[in-house]
Amino acid sequence: MSSSMKTTEKKKLSGKAKGYLILIVLLVASWVIFKIATPGNFGSPKQMLQYFQASLLAATGAVGFYFVMVMGMFDFSIGANIVLSSILGCVLATNFGLGYVGFVVGSIVCGALVGLLNGAFYVKLRIPSMIVTTGLALIYEAVANYIAGGVEQTLPSDMRAFGSMPGNVILAVISFIVAYIFLNYTKVGTYTYAIGSNEFVAKNMGINVNKYKVIAFLISGAFFGVEAILSISYGSSMVAVTGMASMSRNFIPTMGCFFGMAFRKYGIPIQAIIIGEFVINIIFYGFIALGAPTAIQDVITGLALLIIITLTTRVDKGEIVK
Amino acid sequence: MSNEVRLQVKNVCKSFGITKAVQNVSFNINKGEVHALIGENGSGKSTLTNMLTGIYPIDSGIFILDGKEIHPKNQIEANNEGVSIIVQELGTLSGLTVAENIFLGHEDRFVKAGIKNTNAMNKEADALLKKYGFERIKAAHMIDEYNFEDRKLVEIVKATYFSPKIVVIDETTTALSQEGREELYKHMERIRNEGNSIIFISHDLPEILDKSDTITVLRDGVYIDTVKSKDMTEDDLKKLMVGREMTGKYYRADYGEKVSDEVVLSVKNVTVPGLIYDVSFDLHKGEILGFGGLSESGMHEVGKAIFGASFDREGSVTLADGTQINDIPTAIKNEIAYTSKDRDNESIVINQSIGDNICLPSLGKLGSGPLKLLSDKKLRAFSDKYAKEISVKMVNTDQFVSELSGGNKQKVVLARWIGRDSDIIVLDSPTRGIDIKVKQDIYQLMDQMRKDGKSIIMISEELMELIGMCDRILIMKDGKISGQLDRNPDMDENSLISMMV
Repeated sequence: MSSSMKTTEKKKLSGKAKGYLILIVLLVASWVIFKIATPGNFGSPKQMLQYFQASLLAATGAVGFYFVMVMGMFDFSIGANIVLSSILGCVLATNFGLGYVGFVVGSIVCGALVGLLNGAFYVKLRIPSMIVTTGLALIYEAVANYIAGGVEQTLPSDMRAFGSMPGNVILAVISFIVAYIFLNYTKVGTYTYAIGSNEFVAKNMGINVNKYKVIAFLISGAFFGVEAILSISYGSSMVAVTGMASMSRNFIPTMGCFFGMAFRKYGIPIQAIIIGEFVINIIFYGFIALGAPTAIQDVITGLALLIIITLTTRVDKGEIVK
Repeated sequence: MSNEVRLQVKNVCKSFGITKAVQNVSFNINKGEVHALIGENGSGKSTLTNMLTGIYPIDSGIFILDGKEIHPKNQIEANNEGVSIIVQELGTLSGLTVAENIFLGHEDRFVKAGIKNTNAMNKEADALLKKYGFERIKAAHMIDEYNFEDRKLVEIVKATYFSPKIVVIDETTTALSQEGREELYKHMERIRNEGNSIIFISHDLPEILDKSDTITVLRDGVYIDTVKSKDMTEDDLKKLMVGREMTGKYYRADYGEKVSDEVVLSVKNVTVPGLIYDVSFDLHKGEILGFGGLSESGMHEVGKAIFGASFDREGSVTLADGTQINDIPTAIKNEIAYTSKDRDNESIVINQSIGDNICLPSLGKLGSGPLKLLSDKKLRAFSDKYAKEISVKMVNTDQFVSELSGGNKQKVVLARWIGRDSDIIVLDSPTRGIDIKVKQDIYQLMDQMRKDGKSIIMISEELMELIGMCDRILIMKDGKISGQLDRNPDMDENSLISMMV
């Protein structure tokens, strides 16, 4: 009996270590490939730091989105949420003269409200989350466009502390810690996994499944609010696009979240999201350094990400993948 | 054991669609007793205890616990009333730690200002595991690291640590090894000695007689009798369970008929890693070949392996003409049929009509013209013919399968394969959860198919039906064939059980 105990102990230790090892290998490999392809203008320590800072944007959103994804739901309004929250935050800060407080609180509360709406509509209408959030995304885009008055919103230069070091890193790190605490040290985290594992059993255990689904969307929304702050600070302005154009912002946070799902079995989902987003950004900037045409960039990026996820996600035999 | 009443079950009813799962059941359970609940599959045992523990809502009737009426809406409310359950299937959740599973729904005790004290929770769970003698299971580890049996042990802790007044143990022992069973018995004894009561559901009659004080028998959802274990024999219990009138034309009546020497399917050295090892046998024309064993013995995988539905299968499955069956399309093309034990998920397309379900594997044959176009009229005629042939209880074939009872769903599955005119039919637990009347229909149908020269493999956890229906029974144990018995009027369950365990 003691020997079987030892092996499980050993297995567990190596599990986490193995997860980190795979992530680091991916990180180094993506750097090495582009460094060899274009040694001159890619991958110096200073540039790597830039890539990392850029990756923090999507990473902050993805750690919140993880709660929604673990429960088996999806969100197509990510981009619309970021656009709306950043524009509202910017307008509160400038037009209403509320400064940093208006900017930060406004963006995060707006993001959380969008999440709350997503969750409430999903639970009440009882239709798939993908469809609910797609429909709502159109509305969020329209609202953002109305608030912006159709004009590009620029964050004043004296309010861009979160666009560069150390402001962006501090805000991101705080977000990661909060997500980590939620996931590991609150009921919400336990119930998120319980509902994701078997909703019926979870319900039988007295868990108010609908309530926690809404909470997951709310948490996710608030973190996209943080991503909104980082995004407009980094890019200095935001255009209130319409006609689903905000959807292009969905991709990177979602991909990072897939990293989290894939590395969940190693017990390091949040860490995997952070490093995963970094890897994705290295690939993006690598292509820019190469000067490859956009179409080719997109093809290779898409393929590379599919390969990474396929290799890291092991689906059990016979398991149905949807 | 005292004579003080702990739980009164009064006029409890529950229906699923047109199936009356529990009808007007009333009996009492005393303090400090192990009260067994027995009956054939589908007799309403689990439905009744699932109502008591809040898993199903009650249609009508009441449960009175220590003089107080209880209406739990979920398991946690039931726990708070003093009732808990160890379920038949896996009752722990993947993705959570052992401690999180034990305290799921009760974590408020460890939450202060919104923050969960994981250390305190793990410490208490470890202490409980130690108290139960399961030290090798660690509270902080993910539950996924443990096998089915260890996860059942975790469930024992989860269901009993708070000294509930009533613990329901639903068909748990078949999932456990002898060692695991002993652990469970130990805790049953402890709970009983503490003056609390156990509702014990099992199909293992010797176990029932040995471990319980009182036995209540259900049949087809109806209360039959409550008896003292010490006054009963296995035969008495069987009579109560099946009912005297069920002997006779229920199973096959023939004995000593010679089975054809013609081999229609030959299975050689089939191994499915982790499930079955080196299984070899021949199936003859017109034979009903039974597979018996404990649920985890690998017998269910044998059916999948023959149908080409197993993963990483080694060895060969060969038809009389030399065709190798390695995948499902080849199996169906060569007229092999398979009905899974997991009817709702693996056999039936639940949100489709009866007609669609019956036509599904025969669509290739039903198309006409060079484009194989399907005509509604032809499909309807086809499904009507076979649904009526085995008398599916329905409005018409447009009705959705989801509205049918378990027995009628099974009939739809059978109609599908009869319509396909399959020659080799693999039936995994064909009568699971089916009432006695439909069971009889299915047995008669099998007998007819046999006489028509079809070959049947019947995999079942119900020993009586294997004994009653099969020409030959292969017993599986730990993934291997552990013995064979030929059709014989003197065969009884004990001869099978001795090979199973």
